Amino acid sequence: MHIVTVVRLVPDLLEEIQVNEQGTDIDREWIGVKLCEFDDHALEEAVLIKEATGATVTALGIAVEGIDRVLQSAVARGADRAVKIECGETNLDSRSFAKLLSETLPQLKPDLVLAGVQTPEDLFGQLVPFLGTLMGRPHASGVTGAQAEGNAVKIQQEYGAGRAARLTLALPAVLGIQSASQPPRYVSGTKLRQAIQGTKIETLSATASAGGSGTVKEMRRPARGQGAEMIEGEAEEVAGKIYDALVGRGLVGGK
Amino acid sequence: MAKPLVLAALMLLAFSFAGYRFFLRLRPMFSAPGIDRLDHIGERLWGLVPNVLLHRRLLNIRYSGILHAMIFSSFIVLFTAIVQAFGSGLFPGFSLAPVGGNSVIALLQDVFAVVIMIGVGMAFYNRYVIKPARFKGSNNKDATVILILVTGVVTSMLLEFSFHIAAGGDPSAPWRPLSSTIARLLEALGFEGESADRAAHVFYWVHVCVILSFLTYIPGSKHLHMFAAIPNIFLRNIGPKGQSRTPDPKAAHIGLSDVRALDWKGMLDLYSCTECGRCQAACPAYAAGLPLSPKILIMNMRDALIDETVTHTATAPAAVPAAGSNLEALVGSVISEQTLWSCTTCRACMEVCPLHIEHVPKIIDMRRHMVEEGHVTPGIQDAMASFQQYGNSFKKPPRMRAKWTSGLDFKIKDARKEEVDILWFVGDYASYDPRVQRITQTVARLLQKAGVDFGILYDAEQNSGNDVRRVGDEGLFQTLSEHNIEALGNCSFKRIMTTDPHSLNALRQEYPAQGAEYEVVHYTQLLLELMREGKIAKAANEKVQGTVTYHDPCYLGRYNNGFEPPRQIMAELGYKLHEMARCRENSFCCGAGGGRIWQDDTGVKERPSENRIREALALGDATIFAVACPKDLVMYTAAVQSLAVEDKIQVKDIAELFA
Repeated sequence: MHIVTVVRLVPDLLEEIQVNEQGTDIDREWIGVKLCEFDDHALEEAVLIKEATGATVTALGIAVEGIDRVLQSAVARGADRAVKIECGETNLDSRSFAKLLSETLPQLKPDLVLAGVQTPEDLFGQLVPFLGTLMGRPHASGVTGAQAEGNAVKIQQEYGAGRAARLTLALPAVLGIQSASQPPRYVSGTKLRQAIQGTKIETLSATASAGGSGTVKEMRRPARGQGAEMIEGEAEEVAGKIYDALVGRGLVGGK
Repeated sequence: MAKPLVLAALMLLAFSFAGYRFFLRLRPMFSAPGIDRLDHIGERLWGLVPNVLLHRRLLNIRYSGILHAMIFSSFIVLFTAIVQAFGSGLFPGFSLAPVGGNSVIALLQDVFAVVIMIGVGMAFYNRYVIKPARFKGSNNKDATVILILVTGVVTSMLLEFSFHIAAGGDPSAPWRPLSSTIARLLEALGFEGESADRAAHVFYWVHVCVILSFLTYIPGSKHLHMFAAIPNIFLRNIGPKGQSRTPDPKAAHIGLSDVRALDWKGMLDLYSCTECGRCQAACPAYAAGLPLSPKILIMNMRDALIDETVTHTATAPAAVPAAGSNLEALVGSVISEQTLWSCTTCRACMEVCPLHIEHVPKIIDMRRHMVEEGHVTPGIQDAMASFQQYGNSFKKPPRMRAKWTSGLDFKIKDARKEEVDILWFVGDYASYDPRVQRITQTVARLLQKAGVDFGILYDAEQNSGNDVRRVGDEGLFQTLSEHNIEALGNCSFKRIMTTDPHSLNALRQEYPAQGAEYEVVHYTQLLLELMREGKIAKAANEKVQGTVTYHDPCYLGRYNNGFEPPRQIMAELGYKLHEMARCRENSFCCGAGGGRIWQDDTGVKERPSENRIREALALGDATIFAVACPKDLVMYTAAVQSLAVEDKIQVKDIAELFA
């Protein structure tokens, strides 16, 4: 069994985000990047399946600055191969990325493709459904655990209100991982150093087709609200004012 | 004559049995990894004077130290009686008479028989009446058996001597006041001539048998320290205290996963432990209620080593297994993971151990194994991942490292671009923690005012890796240290200064082993120099109010001997210093070291920092709690707040005392 797990670099939200001069994107020149947290879980789930079944895991990313380090860490975590796609694009939208992957992935012959359920730049989690559709494979998102069994994969999927489902998908399939069956493991500095020194990163070439999902015209910071109402006084007095405010806005009963 | 033959047979039996028991314990040492501990013979020998002859560490607890000194000195003197007993038994006509066996030695034997009995009495009293808390977890039965055996050896010896004197014609009688007195009693009871001579014979054999039983008992007892202690002290670590061992780069596995993979000196440590519990009494983790007692850790490792040996003799010859990845072999079963994560690496245990047992390196080595296996606590994982990504534990981008400088009205030199006299290695807490930034700015202003030519590395600085190494992530330490060494290598400076004792330790003691040596000073030393050169004005005495107590940071004091400069600064500024009982080498850790600061308080009954603040409050007059470490400032400020004693005591950095 061959699992390909997608790794994406996303802006590090711990840093101060600036909008660029054109007002069409965040300023990516100074922003730090890190591995998308959901992709981190997808990688963990891939390695867990590998440990359970002896599968081969390939970490796959777009060749952008910083991807080598992420691919090396993936190998330190337990991936067997590291592959990057040279396509000349650094900032693909989900649809173009799905198309690129659907054209490139057949070379790797994956039985299972895992990716994080969403990224801060793919808020609606479109990559996995696009990819599944383009490749003509069963797909599911919001996955919180996956076990490979013969020619199928059993998954847990979370819905709202505390409901969950268990589904079985025939392989080959594409999964959007929300969280791995257990938290991503710790990789020691020693293993990381070994992976940095010893990992051979393979390269696949591809041409990204022009994105068809529109262009950003304007991007701006969220509008500032009209200020807050500060409630002061003794605890009971404050509680009373909060109650009145809630009633006044029709949020709680009142008479 | 049958006597020499019987004695020889008894001795052969006892020596074979004891020898076999010794062999079982020593055998793992023969196949253990090596460690270089035979250098600087002179220094090693010289160290035996304070540690063995003068009982310096033992006397830190006066009562126990004195009773040990009494028993120890008596053993040396009474060894002559053993030589005499076995010599005369094996070789008729053998006597110590030519060297004073019937005069001075006889007198000494009598005198020290009294000394040892008082010592043994004091030991019984200590164990059964005083019952110090440090004995909790020690093997009381073993200690009692030994005390009874010692009593047996001495009593049988005295009775043999006394009956001998009562039988008449003993030339040593005038030199044996105690034995002679007992002899007179025996004579009064009717033992004279032949009957006394027969009784003397009986007690001779009792004496010999008790000694031989003692010998065979020792290998399985904590009294193995009678043989292991002096070699263990001789083979102590005389290298830099703050330098961790670098694992063999060729080793397939980093860290200690099997007790048989311990180096031979580490094993000797285990056999040397007397279970005295001084380490336990000094341990901040133990005091906090965490599942770590350095004593029990050593005892458990020792028992595991012995069990392994015994099991293997019964079945197959002991083969040292390849140090594998089986976490259960040592870590996780013999020593729990929580135990290992409890340690603050404060070194208090090692400082008080009379046998110079090295607890902390063993803990670090077992942590290395856990880290390589990915077994870390969530807090540690979070911090280490932050170090891997950002070079600090605050999850802050490197660009923000020097943000604290924006609060100054002057610009600090960029040491990467300009030559400086003093390169200030700021450290994580001093750079990023808002509670400490204020102090960092104060230090900067003091240096600026004193006209010091100094600069910082700005975003090129990363965590020194001191605590990362103590957490057990050796590879991450290597990465961090290589980064800093490269950054420092591109700068031109005379000395490095830091306010952070943890950075001080790494730069001064760990980096030389990575091939980078610097002159590194703590800011308290630099400030003292500046005061003495008249470059910093001493605060006007009338401004100085209140009594100060000072907390020695572990990595400044115990690890780097920086006890004096902070005290001299306070004295020269005119502060009255009221020391806490636990000061200098015996300082009590704040609880943050060794990666503890990144872990939660699970299992903590009393935070070490709060215990410490209570100690300071108990002084009665101290209103300022002075610290010289950014982590201390954070820990003690929080402790003062959580105890709600802000109105009674204030935590202040030494730099703030200049205000």
